[in-house]
Amino acid sequence: MTSWQNNRAVRDARIAAGAGLARGKVVEAHDVTRLLEAVIRPGDRVCLEGDNQKQADLLSRALLAVDLSKVNDLHMVQSGVVLPEHLDLFDRGVAKRLDYAYSGPQSARIARMLFGGKIELGAVHTYLELFARYFIDLTPHVALIAAVSADREGNLYTGPNTEDTPTVVEATAFKDGVVIAQVNEIVETVPRVDIPADRVHFIVKADKPFFVEPLFTRDPAAITEGQILTAMLAIKGVYAPYGVQRLNHGIGFSTAAIELLLPTFGERLGLKGRIATHFALNPHPALIPAIESGWVRQIHSFGSEVGMDDYIRARSDVYFTGPDGSLRSNRALCQTAGLYACDMFIGSTLQIDLQGNSSTVTTSRIAGFGGAPNMGADARGRRHPSESWLKAGAEADPDSPAPLRRGRKLVVQIGETFGDRNVPLFVEKLDAIELAEKLNLELAPVMIYGDDVTHIVTEEGVANLLLCRTAQEREQAIRGVAGYTDVGRRRDRNMVAHLRERGVIRRAEDLGINPLDADRSLLAARSIKDLVRWSGGLYAPPSKFRNW
Amino acid sequence: MIAPIKDIVQAERARNTSFNEASARTRLALLLDGGSLVEFIGPEAREVSPHLKTFDLPEQYDDGIIVGHGRLEGAPVFVAAQEGRFMGGAFGEVHGAKLTGLLHAARRIGSIPVLILFDTGGVRLQEANAGELAIAEIMRAMIEARAAGVKVIGLIGGRSGCYGGGGLIAGCCSALAVSEPGRIAVSGPEVIETNRGVEEFDSRDRALVWRTMGGKHRRLLGAADVFADDTVQDFREAALELLELLGPVGTFGLDRLKAEHERLAERLRRFGRCEDAVDIWTAEGVAHAATVPELPADQFIALANRIGRTSRDAR
Repeated sequence: MTSWQNNRAVRDARIAAGAGLARGKVVEAHDVTRLLEAVIRPGDRVCLEGDNQKQADLLSRALLAVDLSKVNDLHMVQSGVVLPEHLDLFDRGVAKRLDYAYSGPQSARIARMLFGGKIELGAVHTYLELFARYFIDLTPHVALIAAVSADREGNLYTGPNTEDTPTVVEATAFKDGVVIAQVNEIVETVPRVDIPADRVHFIVKADKPFFVEPLFTRDPAAITEGQILTAMLAIKGVYAPYGVQRLNHGIGFSTAAIELLLPTFGERLGLKGRIATHFALNPHPALIPAIESGWVRQIHSFGSEVGMDDYIRARSDVYFTGPDGSLRSNRALCQTAGLYACDMFIGSTLQIDLQGNSSTVTTSRIAGFGGAPNMGADARGRRHPSESWLKAGAEADPDSPAPLRRGRKLVVQIGETFGDRNVPLFVEKLDAIELAEKLNLELAPVMIYGDDVTHIVTEEGVANLLLCRTAQEREQAIRGVAGYTDVGRRRDRNMVAHLRERGVIRRAEDLGINPLDADRSLLAARSIKDLVRWSGGLYAPPSKFRNW
Repeated sequence: MIAPIKDIVQAERARNTSFNEASARTRLALLLDGGSLVEFIGPEAREVSPHLKTFDLPEQYDDGIIVGHGRLEGAPVFVAAQEGRFMGGAFGEVHGAKLTGLLHAARRIGSIPVLILFDTGGVRLQEANAGELAIAEIMRAMIEARAAGVKVIGLIGGRSGCYGGGGLIAGCCSALAVSEPGRIAVSGPEVIETNRGVEEFDSRDRALVWRTMGGKHRRLLGAADVFADDTVQDFREAALELLELLGPVGTFGLDRLKAEHERLAERLRRFGRCEDAVDIWTAEGVAHAATVPELPADQFIALANRIGRTSRDAR
């Protein structure tokens, strides 16, 4: 007779094998490696929770220490490859294959290991894509997750940094997988139940709280006048004419500058209430002045940010909070919100080519893209209209009858023509293409495809690609805002002048902006301390950002 | 051309300009009476470092320091301002010689005070010998100037702080004004960590760095005489306050140096066993000492005026 419940039987056997090390569901920290050896089998798909912020660091160390005769050749399916241990797993042979989305701090090492054949790469995904595949063909056999606290039954409180956990657990627990959670503490009653106990099989109390990286804090003191000018151009040249209310911001300094200009420059333009009211956004400290000045009505977050807990708790009108008062973030849902409910994504990149394709991948660094490709993509499944979406759609396709015309999400790439260490932002050919050739990839790791990009903003002006009718116009519009980079210097002067007459390229003076006004005094906060003041002392920045 | 948003008078600009963020030139332009700065050996003289070329490093036409004279509420002053954004404001041969020369001029005239706007990480490593010599020459020139009756006031609030030889020179001034972001020390955080280990001093713990070397601690310890809020106007007022406080300077000589040594020895006796600045503040009787870093400027100034240990007889 055919059995249709083999997977359930295997799951029960795994749990039974681990149960000997547990009292109830609780396993001592020093027994974790033995637990993993009992539960995980060679070749398993394992999700080691780690994203761009919180990390199941105790569990990753424990996994690294397993006996290779018991656990080997794992297929890691995790959104973030962030800790050195994540890659040590491949060096040691604990793991062999990798599907992931983001690898910020490990981007150089992961590139070396891919070149060296140490890692068998499935694909570099976006968060939402990888989450989707958890439910189709990359379902984890074992999930190793991180939570703030657990009760004896195994109910978990994942706290402000809930992030990926509900999605990972959903895919694992409801498809015969085993869920093991590291928690900072075991308590009588959890402040709120983020993950119900019947989805959690083992709990380990970590010796120290899980690591969280303050990834979204930009020190206003480091914002340059060039970034301020670029931000002014974006506000007056994109936010204002489209009336963008629902949006997502990237994490760079240019968007931090925009956040800090809303209560000053934006206010002066009379834009309050007309733009930037609803966000899919992490709790950026740089947005505090805009929130305090009444600009922002609502924010849903992918994750949290170190130091923002008390502020968020006190501003529950703006943020999503649980019955306990603390932030509830959810990466999968916020990514969906960013894809379908936002009219604009604006963010920076490392390289833009002549078609407008952009990538943060360089030949020596494979950072992954996290959420940017979903945020920065037109959602073809969108059906609801908005002023901004319809206007952008009409600009791109003026000839179709309005009722049948798709709108367009605004996808804006912002940056200075020469970026960090004076490296030009604009290139003839993306490093990503060279990398794809070198690694024999079927797809070059492009972050945002050129046909999704609607605007490019630099200190030289705003290029509106929606208004370009030919590939040649598009190329010249990009060259036209590329300044003194090689790409910019090879522009066709006449054509750029013509594009400017048509409003495809708009320079500061076309927008009525005096570059001399791009002064740091225009920032609503010029230091982390200013942000603390704006928050009424509720924002508690991590020590690395202090200068007092 | 579209008219600039801001077209305002100097005092208002000085009030709105962060001393910490401003360039050395902006600091001087807003600190002194409007338009009164006359620069010696300005950028047009192109007196650049003779050493940086060897290392293929960029030079700056003023070698990272502006020296000159100007007016403060109408009264003449000599000024020097380091540019912290050029090689961290570090002392090289030309940079140091410009300050030495300024102090010699002040000594010769005798009655015009000197303001030094420090913003330095110390000696420039690429010209270490010349830089170390410059520190010694500046200290000697400063002591000689003070002995001739010149008041030398240090203003510290730049991004590079006042470290290394800069810390030694600051220790020789008649008086110092410091702001919260300003730091005064000889060995910097990274140097201490490298030599003594991260357990001794974690240079990335910026709260620790600031409560050990930052402006508030230096003021409470009496190393700085006045605490300024981080605007150029505040530093201008601090400079005026110090010039007034110092009054007609008494004789600077052996007795005063001995008194300074006694003050420092007493400080070591009282606080030598303290592990952390917070312990020192607690020992000084500050209630809720751990909250000192969070205090706004006005409340801190009131606190510092109550307990700040400065002595008119020493220094």
